[in-house]
Amino acid sequence: MQSGRGIKIIVSMIGLDGHTTGGEVVARMLRDAGFEVVYLGPNQTPERIVHAALQEDVDAVGISSHASNYGQIVALVDMLRQKGLTNVPVVCGGNIPKHQARRLREQGVAEIFPPGSSSAAIVDFLVGTARKNRGGLALAAAGG
Amino acid sequence: MTRKTDYGYVIKPAYAPKDLDGFDYQRDLGDPGAYPFTRGYHPQGYRSRMWTQRMTAGLGSSREANQVLKRYREMGQRGGMQVIHDRVSCSNIDSDHPLGRREAGVLGWPGSSLLEFEELMADLPLTGQSITILGSCAPSALRLAYIIALAEKRGVDLGEIHGSVMESPFENYMGQTDIQPLELNLKLFLDACEYVIRNKIRMRAAVISQHFQESGGNNAQALGVVLAMLREVCGLLVNERGLDFDEVATLPYELVSVGSRFFEEIAKIRALRRMWAKMAREEFKAKKEKSCQLLIAVHTSGRTMTYQQPLNNLVRSAIQTLAGVIGGCTALDNATLDNAHAEPSTLAARMSLNTQHIVAHETGAADVVDPLAGSYFVEALTNAIEAEGYKVLKKIEKIGGMLAAVRSGFIEEMIYEEANRKFRAIDSGEQKIVGVNHLVIPEEDDFEIPIMEVHAEASEAIADRMAEWKKTRDWSAIEARLRQLHADAGKGERFNLMPSIIAAVKVYATAGEIMGVIRLGRGLSYDPLNMIECPFALDPVAA
Repeated sequence: MQSGRGIKIIVSMIGLDGHTTGGEVVARMLRDAGFEVVYLGPNQTPERIVHAALQEDVDAVGISSHASNYGQIVALVDMLRQKGLTNVPVVCGGNIPKHQARRLREQGVAEIFPPGSSSAAIVDFLVGTARKNRGGLALAAAGG
Repeated sequence: MTRKTDYGYVIKPAYAPKDLDGFDYQRDLGDPGAYPFTRGYHPQGYRSRMWTQRMTAGLGSSREANQVLKRYREMGQRGGMQVIHDRVSCSNIDSDHPLGRREAGVLGWPGSSLLEFEELMADLPLTGQSITILGSCAPSALRLAYIIALAEKRGVDLGEIHGSVMESPFENYMGQTDIQPLELNLKLFLDACEYVIRNKIRMRAAVISQHFQESGGNNAQALGVVLAMLREVCGLLVNERGLDFDEVATLPYELVSVGSRFFEEIAKIRALRRMWAKMAREEFKAKKEKSCQLLIAVHTSGRTMTYQQPLNNLVRSAIQTLAGVIGGCTALDNATLDNAHAEPSTLAARMSLNTQHIVAHETGAADVVDPLAGSYFVEALTNAIEAEGYKVLKKIEKIGGMLAAVRSGFIEEMIYEEANRKFRAIDSGEQKIVGVNHLVIPEEDDFEIPIMEVHAEASEAIADRMAEWKKTRDWSAIEARLRQLHADAGKGERFNLMPSIIAAVKVYATAGEIMGVIRLGRGLSYDPLNMIECPFALDPVAA
């Protein structure tokens, strides 16, 4: 597992999804792995997350999703694009079915980590795709 | 390797009489149907009353949820129905709220008005089955009003309807959050409970440890938390609302999460019956035996349902169902095999109900009451979890009770500590989960299961329908009721808002409107998300 030192990442829930445990656990795991985590918590609108991404100048955005409200995630990706943050990858974790994960990737989400994902898989992916380590690469490239 | 329960009790390789030193059958167990009810409330067990076999419904529009309920009835769900709200109506905002619009009907039933409830219940009986609606505390008062309003419209005797529509406020802060403040949730919950008791309506209130465990909390902590919640709720209804404990005690039911640690789960349910009986009699001075009998419903654990190799979840669910039944639950609903992917598909729902029917009719587990009583191991486990549960209860009491423990963040911290510990145990491979970190197969070899689809357009359609329908209502009647409710909301914590909420619901005021004017009456903003304004001008609240 690589180190996340020097990488700044938002961890947030989105929309009315009130499930906080997954985000808390991942935030703690990322901090332990060296990342600088900006934890926004629950009840964040896409607008607020974009605002925080600009303010905090982050290298990636992590969304913990347990409420099937994918419309909010798509809105977030669109708003990041509109603000020119095309090289800040959006990464999601949670109970997201495969067909939905495919759709989200098509719409610009960099990666989806299902339940049971190892911390090594999450950390290594983030280190590899965070803006800081990718220069000006377009967001879509991370989607594969 | 040391073998432990999930709360750290070290398990021995074998158990013998010496492990039950001082065991006294009458004092510790009693016969089935006798205090302290460790063995359950019915001398004949499931022979006299089978547990209620149900599946949670609610997804898409109210009409779609209605279709699902009808399908479940065809699958043999007759004793009771259970519906869960979507996140929008859980928060008491409307489907056409700018934030609600993107997730109406996602994850549950969009129950923001009486119209939605009428559509949900179309062609379904209000009597002859228990009606359970869950999701969060905030809509408790509304759900009760829906039941009362629809019973009146259909000419059904309210006394013939039973179920559970109230939900205590603490669970909203266990591994999750709520956009409505705790004080407001608590007030509306107490209003609904008081109204039910004073009017002898047969609706129960859920006091749920399920969320606590599904978010990570361990079995012993769950017992301590349940008892702390029950003590707080009953204490408030007795001391602040002036109700008699023996009337209050028939109100709550507990929803416990049951995982795969078979014997521990059975011990947990047995210990809970005994612990509540003692609290009711010794602390609250219960005069009736019935007051010492806490109804315990089981939800098999969604947390244990893996994303990888989902068919394995059928096995887990069967083991958990058997544990719930041997534990002596009153009602049971299963997490489904697709729980880690999406809302239940028809196949997954059918498999869940079939699991219960197989346990009920084919295993013989329902023939004998409390079949593991007297097992050295199970009795030792029951004693161990009880002792550990009391320790947690004491800690909560020391902070000042459940409300104080939620406000101080103690409960949340307990969950996160445990959730982290469990995550690390699986991440490091110390705890083996088949298909996840043990006996893993390549993704392409995994069996494909049907997955319920969610479409963003469906949410928009629900929102548009609500926005259009709102314009067709008799607004002058609604405004009059909302003005009354607003005025009542400023009359103090003990002024019961149920009558004016029921009046507003009957003329089709919506959840967002009703909660909005109550909020304004309490000096809060109309919209908890501060994105919309009250549709009419209200006088400022007297300070």
